[in-house]
Amino acid sequence: MSSAHVDVSAENAATAPVQKSAAWLKHPDSLFWRIVRPVGMAALFLTMWGLAVRWSHSDLFPTPGNVVRGIFELMQKGLLLKYIVASLFRVSWGFTLAVIIGVPLGLVLGWYSRAFQAFNPFIQVFRPISPIAWIPVAILWFGVSDAAPIFLIFLASVFPITVSAIAAVQNMQLVYLRAAQNFGLSTGELFRQVIFRACLPQIITGIRIALGVAWLVVVAAEMIAVNSGLGYLIIDARNAGKRYDLVVAGMVMIGLIGLILDLLVRQLEKFDEVRWGYGKR
Amino acid sequence: MRKILIIIAVAWLVFITLIHAALNLHVFHSKQAAGGTDKRFRIGFLPVTCHLTCPVTDFINKQMTGESIFEPVRFNGWPELKEAYLSGYTPATFILAPMAIALREQGVPIKIVYLGHRDGSAVMVHKDSHIYRMEDLRGKRIAVPNRFSNQRLLVFRALKQAGMSVNDIELLEMPPPDMPAALYAKAVDAISSGEPFMGQTELDGYGRVLWLTKDVWPNFISCVLAVHEEMIKTKRDTVQRLVDGIAKSGKWIDQSMAHRMETAQFVSKFYYNQNPRLLTFVLSKPPDRVKYTNLTLRKPDFAEIEQLGREAGILNGTAHFEDYTDASFVTDETAVQPYAWEPNEQRAR
Repeated sequence: MSSAHVDVSAENAATAPVQKSAAWLKHPDSLFWRIVRPVGMAALFLTMWGLAVRWSHSDLFPTPGNVVRGIFELMQKGLLLKYIVASLFRVSWGFTLAVIIGVPLGLVLGWYSRAFQAFNPFIQVFRPISPIAWIPVAILWFGVSDAAPIFLIFLASVFPITVSAIAAVQNMQLVYLRAAQNFGLSTGELFRQVIFRACLPQIITGIRIALGVAWLVVVAAEMIAVNSGLGYLIIDARNAGKRYDLVVAGMVMIGLIGLILDLLVRQLEKFDEVRWGYGKR
Repeated sequence: MRKILIIIAVAWLVFITLIHAALNLHVFHSKQAAGGTDKRFRIGFLPVTCHLTCPVTDFINKQMTGESIFEPVRFNGWPELKEAYLSGYTPATFILAPMAIALREQGVPIKIVYLGHRDGSAVMVHKDSHIYRMEDLRGKRIAVPNRFSNQRLLVFRALKQAGMSVNDIELLEMPPPDMPAALYAKAVDAISSGEPFMGQTELDGYGRVLWLTKDVWPNFISCVLAVHEEMIKTKRDTVQRLVDGIAKSGKWIDQSMAHRMETAQFVSKFYYNQNPRLLTFVLSKPPDRVKYTNLTLRKPDFAEIEQLGREAGILNGTAHFEDYTDASFVTDETAVQPYAWEPNEQRAR
């Protein structure tokens, strides 16, 4: 989908000089409108939020202005950067470990059907267990160090990656395999040169979903007594009495960083190695 | 292409690890960077007044000698605090008295060595509600922190005094930090937990005290200092220093109102991350809302807790005072002297 937008904008750029000055206003897909739509929606949402708080006379639920002031307060104390770094650190490691283990595991299980028979029920049993349920186990195994939240983030993201890799191999087109067999590739070459490449587009989609999940569980993972991170910020703000502005500030920061992470992972889909695998609408 | 991606990924991991180490782990300017094993043991605590002596001991020791005798680790809820103790991460911890007794019944090597406080709890109702006596709570919802919390036993005891039973009310478990908002939204009719969460509802103008613990159960105990049995055997002098420190800080807090106000300031700022107004309020209005003297272990106090715990169905009575306590560290509290430390001028502001 994103590639479709890129193509349209490229056309706009090419035809722009020919058109008259206010063309960007008329053309529904001009850069102007593509910015106005999400910004307008956000403005509408924030206005409704502010009005809803005012009309309900709630003095616990913060207004957007309170939240922005809360974020500035965190910045002034130097906490915002620290917490963002801590959360990104844990998610980066948990997620990287999940990719390093999940992708090869998925490829192997997708290829060898007997191994799949053995492991699939195991994976399906573990997959639906929420990371919150793992918190006691994480504390017992890792204490209250950074390793515990990393373990929880790993657990949450490894299954979507593995499952998407398994599905990718199982749904691979036979023509690639036949061609590979004709060339007489060894097993190692087959995995690296054919299976991995053929499955990459689907694996990238799985990775994108898993990154979303990894970032999603950061609050749960930081419920353990670590003393930094955006999830910790939310839990700490609940301890601090009437600081729901900071709770929402934590939510806003998690959301914004999630958006940036998704935009970055989407860039992966633009590489030639995977682009062939996505249909263009 | 793949190579570039891997290089970017590795560079990112190294980059984020280094700034995390610098900003949050303070690896680059600290003595404890190299392992930092054991010398200082960890103590678990929650940001409630029941555990106040923990940060006070830490702070005063740092001020007086530049070094604390332990490393306080702040948790956000009872389950995590308990699990950290069970895993051995925190060999000593502040914990609910009935929870410590129940753990002992389940075979956990835990010994209560000192009390955390006396009183310091309340039952709050919404100021607009028509609840003025325990009897008015019939059919209402009351939130308590945990099934092992003494607040639950407190409610049991108050019900008994009012000639009611637990079947007349609806009890539900809720983390204390969420209680003020729940009362504000009238999601529950009454809340009970350790301070400062009760005082907060009063300070913010929507909570009313139904009763303070001192009115219903004078000298109420909710949290105690407990240590691992192994630690008492192998490092008795360390435990002694710890208990002495906690006892001295308790006396120090109760020595004068100025000390209480100073405590509210530094604990809010450096340990609890709360608005100092909150602790200032609960430590002074009234001054005997929570007390930190008279903290030696006495058998009759625990007999009462055991009795109520059995009635409430959380204890089965297999562990006895002698099993789950070691009262030998402070036998005569009158001999304990408060810390000889006075906040200097700059800090007092």
